[in-house]
Amino acid sequence: MININSLSKEYIMGDNRLLALDNIDLSINEGDFVSIMGSSGSGKSTLMNIIGCLDVPSSGEYHFRDNNVSTLNSNKLAELRNKDIGFVFQNFNLLPRLNAQENVVLPLLYSGKNLKERNQLAIEALESVGLKDRVHHRPNQLSGGQQQRVSIARAIAGSPKLILADEPTGALDSKTGLEIMKILNDLNAKGITIVLVTHEDDIANYGSRIIKMKDGRILEDKRNVNN
Amino acid sequence: MSITDLIYLSQKSLRSNILRSILTSLGIIIGVSSVITMISIGSGARIEVEQQIERFGSNNLIVRSQSSSNRGVSMGANSVNTLTLKDMEALKEELPAIKAIAPRVSLSTQIVANGNNWLATVTGTTNDYFDLGNWKFENGRRFEEEELNSGSRVAIIGKTVQKNLFDTDSPIDEVIRINKVPFTVIGLLDAKGGTAWADLDDTVIVPLKTAKQRLVAKKFPGDQIRSMTINVRSSDLLFKTEKDVDTVMRKLHKISANGNPDFVIRNYAQFLNARQESSRVMSILLATVAGISLIVGGIGIMNIMLVTVTERTKEIGVCMSVGAKKRDILLQFLIESLMISLIGGLIGIALGLGVIFGVSEYFKWKMSLDYMSIVLSFVFSSSIGIIFGFYPARKAANLNPIDALRYE
Repeated sequence: MININSLSKEYIMGDNRLLALDNIDLSINEGDFVSIMGSSGSGKSTLMNIIGCLDVPSSGEYHFRDNNVSTLNSNKLAELRNKDIGFVFQNFNLLPRLNAQENVVLPLLYSGKNLKERNQLAIEALESVGLKDRVHHRPNQLSGGQQQRVSIARAIAGSPKLILADEPTGALDSKTGLEIMKILNDLNAKGITIVLVTHEDDIANYGSRIIKMKDGRILEDKRNVNN
Repeated sequence: MSITDLIYLSQKSLRSNILRSILTSLGIIIGVSSVITMISIGSGARIEVEQQIERFGSNNLIVRSQSSSNRGVSMGANSVNTLTLKDMEALKEELPAIKAIAPRVSLSTQIVANGNNWLATVTGTTNDYFDLGNWKFENGRRFEEEELNSGSRVAIIGKTVQKNLFDTDSPIDEVIRINKVPFTVIGLLDAKGGTAWADLDDTVIVPLKTAKQRLVAKKFPGDQIRSMTINVRSSDLLFKTEKDVDTVMRKLHKISANGNPDFVIRNYAQFLNARQESSRVMSILLATVAGISLIVGGIGIMNIMLVTVTERTKEIGVCMSVGAKKRDILLQFLIESLMISLIGGLIGIALGLGVIFGVSEYFKWKMSLDYMSIVLSFVFSSSIGIIFGFYPARKAANLNPIDALRYE
């Protein structure tokens, strides 16, 4: 599903050139659960942003399903993010003015689904993460764990093929974090490919494949024997 | 994303900052209310001028006797009648620009009919009086040539006189007593309504000769008259003719060019011009206020939208991450600024209507609500919203999703 060939990403900050990703080769199969680990500055977030079509590489190729992402314009990238990819962020990134349902509906708005269909899909998504009775709550009326579940509901509402989770448990206590990981695990069991970025070993262990990064390169890439 | 969804999202964010939204639209509010007031004053003045012309006729000069000061002592307005029918004939002869002249003698006196009493102004004149003054007949007829020449006791009355003497009954062929002299009513005039200073319908009109012989023989001896209405052939000639009349009259009355005249010429167009001029000045003033406040209001919208875009940078990033295209973001912010300006426009229209009704009630200044002005206000305010909202909206749409998401 994901094919990355000698991909580099370079940031220019004033006179300094920062090589965030240095000649990466990576492929991820459909249905896999990949954990990407590394300290901050290792390039793991940059890699995830490129995989998520939020950012474009400086050089190299990235194929997502049948698309050569490096050649797509911003509208096509937006469409890919909308239809095939769901994001789960560390700090949830819910819109504070909208209630849980409206937050979940947001990606469906952009895909042009009609009112009835998108409300139905949003309710189903919220039900599947166990928030059936919090549909009309605003983010500030929800606990951290509940907010993260809303954001997972938002990620899955459009039935994506890939979910990208950037430190999804980073802002949560360990018990709540485990609940979130269980939800991601269940989603993976249903066939959704998951790419998880974390720096915690026990969280990374949920993955069936663990990639360790350092200084923009892949240091280690192996199947997870514990899983 | 459909327009209704965009409007829904926009009103959510506007309502989360309702005070700011209203303060932002203040410039538009003032601008739009000025536009509406301005247009109303303009069209009100136009309608008033049209009505005045309708009432008093156009292209008319009125020449009236005026007591010249006699050895330093003013003799009072009615004490002397210096105008004569000879003056009238001379003017007609000397000035080809004059189309017609209606002479007038008048008195205020008691009218009795049907057992009722009424004090009215009686005018003695000729048939020209009806044409020049734009009088129309509700019923009956004008004077016949024979009646004018023989001094017949016939009268034409106005609506107010009819109402007070005959109520709603037809006055035609009834006899009324003017100063105890019986007259037969031959015509009833259409109502003209009142002005601020007089009820135009409170009038009785009789042939000039009849009046001079039977009603005002002492007051207007010989061929003296009170005033004459001069109708000029075209409005271009009005002001020139006014001067010519003055010259001819001075010559007839042997008054030097800088001497004190014993007559006064009223040019009604002068009043109308002054009225139009003052409303024009008012309109220019308001147009300036409107223009400045619309531009300032637009800049205010742009300013607040730039702040909003910055505040919501992260939110824009989130929307982009879930699939918002540049166009979606652009439209959302454009609709937000459009909504601010339209809300401002609506409040401005309400305020403008309030001003219009307040001013016309309080100052008795004729203002007419032009529906075009409401349409115009909507066009103004929405274009301001779109024009000044475009730059911030484009700024939002051109954000890089990653940078926007990372913005704290």
